[in-house]
Amino acid sequence: MVRSTYEKRVARQLLLILSPSLLLLLAFVIYPAVYSVYLSFTNEALTGAAALNPRFVGLRNYSRLLHDAKFWNSLLVTFLFVVGSAIIGQFVLGLISAILLRRDLAFKQLFSSIILLPNAAPEVVAGFMWISMLAGGENATLSRIVMFFGMTPTDWLQTFPLTMIIVVNTWRGIATAMILLTAGLSTIPSEVYEAARMDGANPSQIFRRITLPLMMPTILLYMLISAVSTIAVFGLVYALTRGGPGGATEVISIYIYNQSFTAFQLGYGAAVAVVALVISLILGIAYVRAMKVQV
Amino acid sequence: MTDFVLARPGKSRRPDLLAYAALSLISAFCAVPFFWVLLASLDGNAQLFLSWPREWTLNNYVRVFAEEDGARWVFNSLFVVGSATLLVMVLAGLGGYALSRTRAWWKQPFLYAILLIRVLPPTALVVPLYKILLTLNNIEGNLVRIFFGGDTARAIMRWIGFIDGYLGLILVLATMQLPLALWIMKTFFDGLPRDYEEAAVMDGATMLQRIRRVLIPLALPGLAAAGLFAFISAWGDFLLPLILLSSPELQTLPLGLFRAFLRVNTIDYGFLAALAFIYLMPAVIAFGFARRFLVQTFSGGVKG
Repeated sequence: MVRSTYEKRVARQLLLILSPSLLLLLAFVIYPAVYSVYLSFTNEALTGAAALNPRFVGLRNYSRLLHDAKFWNSLLVTFLFVVGSAIIGQFVLGLISAILLRRDLAFKQLFSSIILLPNAAPEVVAGFMWISMLAGGENATLSRIVMFFGMTPTDWLQTFPLTMIIVVNTWRGIATAMILLTAGLSTIPSEVYEAARMDGANPSQIFRRITLPLMMPTILLYMLISAVSTIAVFGLVYALTRGGPGGATEVISIYIYNQSFTAFQLGYGAAVAVVALVISLILGIAYVRAMKVQV
Repeated sequence: MTDFVLARPGKSRRPDLLAYAALSLISAFCAVPFFWVLLASLDGNAQLFLSWPREWTLNNYVRVFAEEDGARWVFNSLFVVGSATLLVMVLAGLGGYALSRTRAWWKQPFLYAILLIRVLPPTALVVPLYKILLTLNNIEGNLVRIFFGGDTARAIMRWIGFIDGYLGLILVLATMQLPLALWIMKTFFDGLPRDYEEAAVMDGATMLQRIRRVLIPLALPGLAAAGLFAFISAWGDFLLPLILLSSPELQTLPLGLFRAFLRVNTIDYGFLAALAFIYLMPAVIAFGFARRFLVQTFSGGVKG
């Protein structure tokens, strides 16, 4: 009896010290998420008649979504942004860096510090630096580089807006990919490589037949987590292009922001937000299951 | 046997050269954008383009503080992000301990929930979040005005208001960093043997004494990691201050930088670059400290 009252008291105390965190998460994350779903069924707006007297409109916002070319455009842009920067750009450069930095090279620390640097830059600073890199005219850094190779310079953010935000987001995330993939590489026992070498495998065979297959679980987890965090990117794109020109870089988080705070359509913005929440949650659940958390 | 991909140890030097070339290219890609901020901030005649300053000067930095409200922006950012970080460390320290030690039914659902919360895009939450904060702010404002007159009430609300006040931004910034911090601390306490606590219990220590005398000293490395990641992420955040703050007195560094950049006709690149550099430095320093935790945190997040 004594023991069980003691355990009950401890259990109560543990719940008590967790409760402030629980309260904040409920108030500022869970409740807003649920509230988003509610808002998406109303015609809430920041201005106009609907602002004073919001009504329940059923699925009207969602049926409007289906016919909204700008919404489909933003889904497509988000998809290309995620595939281009997280799945291809960051992954390829991160994997190359991770593999090369496992070797015994001089300046290893210096290289890895430099690769980590973009990750530390706040979103607005990163956007600002790249506006300088990508500006129009012959003096911008990228224009000078392409002119060195005999190509024609252009106003990069106007001519290739989506490609450019993919490049910038790749730049910002190489470090995350490198760190995760380094951790994955270090779990492959060196005996496996030695055995392969004994059997006369060449480096590219070793990479394709051993490194890649054994890395698959890590790669899958990386892909899921980086896809989810790339869908959430806002400040970087906002600072660079604010979704423009003409919606070319209007990723879903920018579209939600523009609908809510520029067009003041809160109900409709919430419907778009719910779509983003659902996509992220599906990827998140896949991530949690793939990672087989033992909690 | 670390060089498994390109060469056997001591074989030809060519693969090494290739490795250096590839790493140099990637590093150049990573580093070049930073050069412009650094050089332009020291250039008396800075342009939007990368160029070697003809006239070196610290004048741009002086102007951030003398001509504009730079000191206030720095203070606001440090105060808001610093308070949020402290709050995260306290809450995640306590909560992480509870999550690690409890055997209650809510343990597993809670842990899954904080993993899933991390994937929700903040932009999708800001509209309802704004409405909730506005409601809280109005209730609070009415209460404050019962006791204080107009000007005093406004000054008080600047500190404790939920919209356009320090408190609201601090609480929301802290909440957004909590899931990762709770996860880090839970994992950290999982790795701490219970012997110390049990010894303290035997000695008749209460819960609070156990936390203060035994757990906090043991948990410092974990708290440092959780705090650094919270600081870096809150420091870089742009969306929340953009939506929650409007008074010039409360403006933080990201807003100051962004708004200075919007004055299109009169962009002063030297000033902007100096401001950007000031904003960048704390993040880079914190990142330097956080580096040794990076691998364990990211891979810990992956492996559970």
